[in-house]
Amino acid sequence: MLETFTPAVCGSRQRQIVAQALFAGAAVATAAALGLLLGLAGSLLGAERAVLAAAALALVAAAREAGLVRLPLPQARRQVPERWRFELPLPAWASGYGAGLGAGLFTFQPVSTFWVACAGAVALARPVSSALCLSLYGAGRAIMVVWPRRRASDPTAAVERLLGRRGALLRANAVALVACGILLAAAPAAGGATRVARDAYDPSFDRGALAFARQDGVVVVRPPGEPALVFPDASQPALFKGYLAYRDALGIRVLRWRNGMEVARIASTRVSRPALDWPLLAFVRRGESKKRIVVRDLESGRSRVRVSAKHSVYLGRPSLHGGRLAWQTSTRRISRIYVKTLRTNKRRLVARSKIALLSNPTVRGKRVAWTEARFGVSRLMLAWGSGRGRTLERIRSRTRSYWTTALGNGSVYATRWTLRSGAASVYRTNF
Amino acid sequence: MPQPEGSRLDRSAERLSAKLAESTTRRSFLGRLGAAAMAVAGGSAVAAAVKPDEAEAFHFCGHIWTTGSCPSPFPPLARIDRHGFPLHPGSGRRIDNLGRFVNANGQPVDAGGNRLRGPDGALLPAGPRTRVCEDWTREVKGLRDLRTQGSWYRCCGGQIRKLVDCCSFSRRRINGDASLTGYCWGGRRVYCVMYYDTGLPC
Repeated sequence: MLETFTPAVCGSRQRQIVAQALFAGAAVATAAALGLLLGLAGSLLGAERAVLAAAALALVAAAREAGLVRLPLPQARRQVPERWRFELPLPAWASGYGAGLGAGLFTFQPVSTFWVACAGAVALARPVSSALCLSLYGAGRAIMVVWPRRRASDPTAAVERLLGRRGALLRANAVALVACGILLAAAPAAGGATRVARDAYDPSFDRGALAFARQDGVVVVRPPGEPALVFPDASQPALFKGYLAYRDALGIRVLRWRNGMEVARIASTRVSRPALDWPLLAFVRRGESKKRIVVRDLESGRSRVRVSAKHSVYLGRPSLHGGRLAWQTSTRRISRIYVKTLRTNKRRLVARSKIALLSNPTVRGKRVAWTEARFGVSRLMLAWGSGRGRTLERIRSRTRSYWTTALGNGSVYATRWTLRSGAASVYRTNF
Repeated sequence: MPQPEGSRLDRSAERLSAKLAESTTRRSFLGRLGAAAMAVAGGSAVAAAVKPDEAEAFHFCGHIWTTGSCPSPFPPLARIDRHGFPLHPGSGRRIDNLGRFVNANGQPVDAGGNRLRGPDGALLPAGPRTRVCEDWTREVKGLRDLRTQGSWYRCCGGQIRKLVDCCSFSRRRINGDASLTGYCWGGRRVYCVMYYDTGLPC
């Protein structure tokens, strides 16, 4: 195919340059389009989880290229249609050849690297990033058309020189694939954040079940291995065992989420942000002069005010688990995260800051997670016992940051959202 | 600025330059630019302590680099209002510590002044907005004695710019080297600097 792009075939040196440029443009564009589609497919499938699979694939491919294992590759042993350059005008056949080879799927692949790149593009689950990465494959195709003319009058000589170094190339390819596999395995997406719900916020997790609010005004409960349950006209979910509390137009409703049977109702438009640790329900109540976090025993019906604050203080979404209540207080001057043991009524300051916004704490056992935001950086923090918090994950962005959090067994669920668009998703981060 | 470990000559020169810096005011220190000669003779540490004219040295209008800016929402430009709270360096509008425009009540707004909403559609509450010297620098650098003290004026962009010292008893300034007395008083020295655009034409 290389000999196609010669002055003799193209008609002149100038037409050869035009043909090479069109070939290169089409190859890069098609490879980018393939990356876009693969990244889009990954984002639709939630394929960030596939990063480890892509890493494993890269290592297997490295073993194959090193000659350690023998594995067949999916192949399309077709070549570019030669008749095109006789029947079609130069711009059409040059672009067509570029598109055909840039896509990679319609031509012979001597090594497995292309398929690893495709798997990586799916696992990346970001269409634009995947497109940028895979466009390099098209660029490589283009270089092989342009580069030989700089070294020899016979364009196939360069290919022959490469073939003469095939052993070294295969070893270099194997090393590159091993490095790729290691980097993929160590990538944040592999050990870090995994998107678990789109257009979603306010996660709540208990015993394998995940509840979250969706931006179209429903609450979703996703039990493990079962279909999701949807509760319309609801927000601010809190999950505990078989119970679900959420806010609706009438106040706070508590029900058994498997059959929808209501077990408690707090009918007031002044109550919001429930947290459930059956039979205890914590919620925020707006009074005339103060805001309060009230904890109600839903079996005995007794209520007790646990936190009281002025209206200028933002209390956020409380969290209740194992007899411990976590909440935030933030004003224009200071943010604080507290945990209170309900039995002793003893309050502990977990974190405070005069410059960062500390918010959305969640408690589970001895662990407390919360978010810390200041301009340009937003952190997901985790503390154990009375220790200081450590950064579990950070977003370096001026427009994206964390929102609400929930603690699971060995993982934190956190809402990430974009200030400009309001778009939000729930991510899981293992620790 | 952190100093690389150097030879004994370098370390001696650093101590000497630190003593020199500590024992002088900004003006007299700058007046002794003859110390530059020591840089030639005494090593890179001295050069780092006294060099005001290198490419990296230009700080912002009105302030040729001696002491660095205080930590702020928009580093390295610590633009403040008359009370020491952060402003957007470009537009001069109020910002909170998260870098969002805020209204007079501290509530985050967009460029048009409309209240911002969270992912749940509810209006976002006011975030923290605290003073650059007494709160930001104190928390980021762990210094408890910071005060906004001295200031001086320069003409910048057609208006008078007030350059303000954030002062501490620390003998080290934000750059990591010896601090200067500058316009601080009561034993404090300049830890970092901020600026306030007065709007008065010049």
